[in-house]
Amino acid sequence: MRTYFNDLPKTALGASYWIFAVYLVLPLALMMAMSFKDANFIAFPIGNWTLSWYGKVIQDKQFLEASLYSIGIALATTISATIIGVWIALLVSAENIWGKAVIFALACLPAVVPGLINAISMRIFIRAVDIPTGTFAIILAHTVHAVPFVVIMVLTRLRSMPANLVDAARDLGADPFIAFLRVTIPYLMPALFGGMIFCVLTSIDDFVRTFFLGGYQPTLPMLIFAKVQGGMSPEINAMATIVLVVTTAVGLYAEHFTRRSRS
Amino acid sequence: MQPVVHFKNVNKSYGALTAVDDLDLAIAPGQFVTLLGPSGCGKSTTLRMLGGFDSPTSGEIYLEGKPISHLPPNRRNVNIVFQDYALFPHLTVGRNIAFGLELKGMESAAIHKRVSDLLALVSLQDHAERMPAQLSGGQRQRVALMRALAPDPNVLLLDEPLSALDAKLRQQMQIELKSIQKKTGKTFIFVTHDQEEALTMSDVIVVMNKGRIEQMGGPDELYARPRSRFVANFIGQSNFLEGTVASVSGGIASVEWRGNAVNADVNGTAPIPGDHVTVALRPEAVFCLSRKPEDRQSLKGRIDQRVFKGAHTSLTVKLDNGSTLEAQIDPVALSHIEGDDVWVGWRDRDAVLLAK
Ligand SMILES: Nc1ncnc2c1ncn2[C@@H]1O[C@H](COP(=O)(O)OP(=O)(O)OP(=O)(O)O)[C@@H](O)[C@H]1O
Ligand SMILES: [Mg+2]
Repeated sequence: MRTYFNDLPKTALGASYWIFAVYLVLPLALMMAMSFKDANFIAFPIGNWTLSWYGKVIQDKQFLEASLYSIGIALATTISATIIGVWIALLVSAENIWGKAVIFALACLPAVVPGLINAISMRIFIRAVDIPTGTFAIILAHTVHAVPFVVIMVLTRLRSMPANLVDAARDLGADPFIAFLRVTIPYLMPALFGGMIFCVLTSIDDFVRTFFLGGYQPTLPMLIFAKVQGGMSPEINAMATIVLVVTTAVGLYAEHFTRRSRS
Repeated sequence: MQPVVHFKNVNKSYGALTAVDDLDLAIAPGQFVTLLGPSGCGKSTTLRMLGGFDSPTSGEIYLEGKPISHLPPNRRNVNIVFQDYALFPHLTVGRNIAFGLELKGMESAAIHKRVSDLLALVSLQDHAERMPAQLSGGQRQRVALMRALAPDPNVLLLDEPLSALDAKLRQQMQIELKSIQKKTGKTFIFVTHDQEEALTMSDVIVVMNKGRIEQMGGPDELYARPRSRFVANFIGQSNFLEGTVASVSGGIASVEWRGNAVNADVNGTAPIPGDHVTVALRPEAVFCLSRKPEDRQSLKGRIDQRVFKGAHTSLTVKLDNGSTLEAQIDPVALSHIEGDDVWVGWRDRDAVLLAK
């Protein structure tokens, strides 16, 4: 592979990478730039710059409510997905459990089922068991979607854990529960943290499941979608920019944290 | 004296495989006991059963006279040092050592004192705040040892704790371990497959093979008086002479070996004339002379190979009776060269009959 690529002129490779990078970043940059435009339509040139759209967004009660609602759902999703995910990972990594492979496959299924199918089936399911659409149903769907990622991250970490660590804790006087709390959980911390950040981000990002399962109260993506229906405006750009900056910051911090604790 | 640890008819099988086979072992308090044997002979399994990580398939283990097979590891007053140390990576050295003390409900001032005392014992006072990843192999080894000693167990178990260290550090740690054992007066049960390590450190060596005890005794006793071919070969090297007992008198058997009469200690066995026996003979017990000695028995041969090994010289002697014998001689005392005729022999007590 290497020698094959070496035959290509370096400049061609470099140039095509930069084209790709521009393609990645340019739309985001445009969106951000437009959020500073002092006019209520989106087009070049920008002309006068302003922060007024941000002022408007921050004072927008709908935006604040939707944000808090999304964050609340994300936190509830994270807590339940983490507990269930860790539990399944422990089950799968235990030595003498019958049907390990089946448990693992079932837990991972939601990661590969298309979001739309997942959403429709959940909708049918909650109707069948008489759960109303709304917050609880959204959390259910988000949790099902997030669990596989927690399972895989925790399982990977568990597999790298020296078997003797728990034995050593038991040997020094810890009962199984204390050993789990004081040795296994701290050891899993980087994976747990990474998994939790992932849960938060996917939950906040989710549109399809929320669309099918939500009630009248909009989450952030629903609100933005509703606003876009009424036509693009720099205000939407400002909203999107805020979401982008916050989620990127959280993601980068998580990456930094897991990398540091891994070394 | 009551044994501190007593395995009574303990068996452990994994399916069809018998890892520990009818083990009967009593260990006196305050001793440095080594379980020695080849890979897979059941040493770790024995230790893990005592620690509480495996339970015997049958039989019972007694700790200070009380049966403990039903107790979980956290309720046994023994601690183990694992081969890979198993230090908690998220805790500092000090917190690692304090782990067992905290679980005992000791006050934090007392814990602090005990941790610094233990660290001082291995000259690691300045390392209490370090993380395990920041320590060298030898330092980790010491921390693991102190962590296991901290809760003041009756018996300390060590499963090949030195095998990850390089040769030099290993020798240093052997001496250090032995001196810590003496200082604390605790019973150490040490597992290794390295016979030299066992000879250096132990008060008692338990030689194991295929889940059974081959022989148990002091290092010098095992070396000088091996009872089986396995022990004679596993600890040091031996020549084996197979022959037929001709007569026995005064604890010395005269054995007919390839047309020669050779003498050997009966070594606790009760041979009768006509028995087929094996005699074990250490190479360093063999003497080589250029002329036939008048005052003692000797066999004639010719030097086939001569290898200088520094502290001694190793000779392979082809005897006139058709067999070969390994001998070790002083490198300066004699200047035998390959092809020289020699007369070899040994003191009667230095050759021993084997029971099996
Ligand atoms: N959990 C297990 N399941 C099945 N067989 C096992 C298990 N643990 C040990 N054994 C088997 O029992 C036998 C004894 O193993 P053990 O670990 O006690 O040997 P050992 O003397 O400590 O060897 P080593 O020097 O290689 O550590 C081996 O044949 C091993 O394969
Ligand atoms: Mg072992």
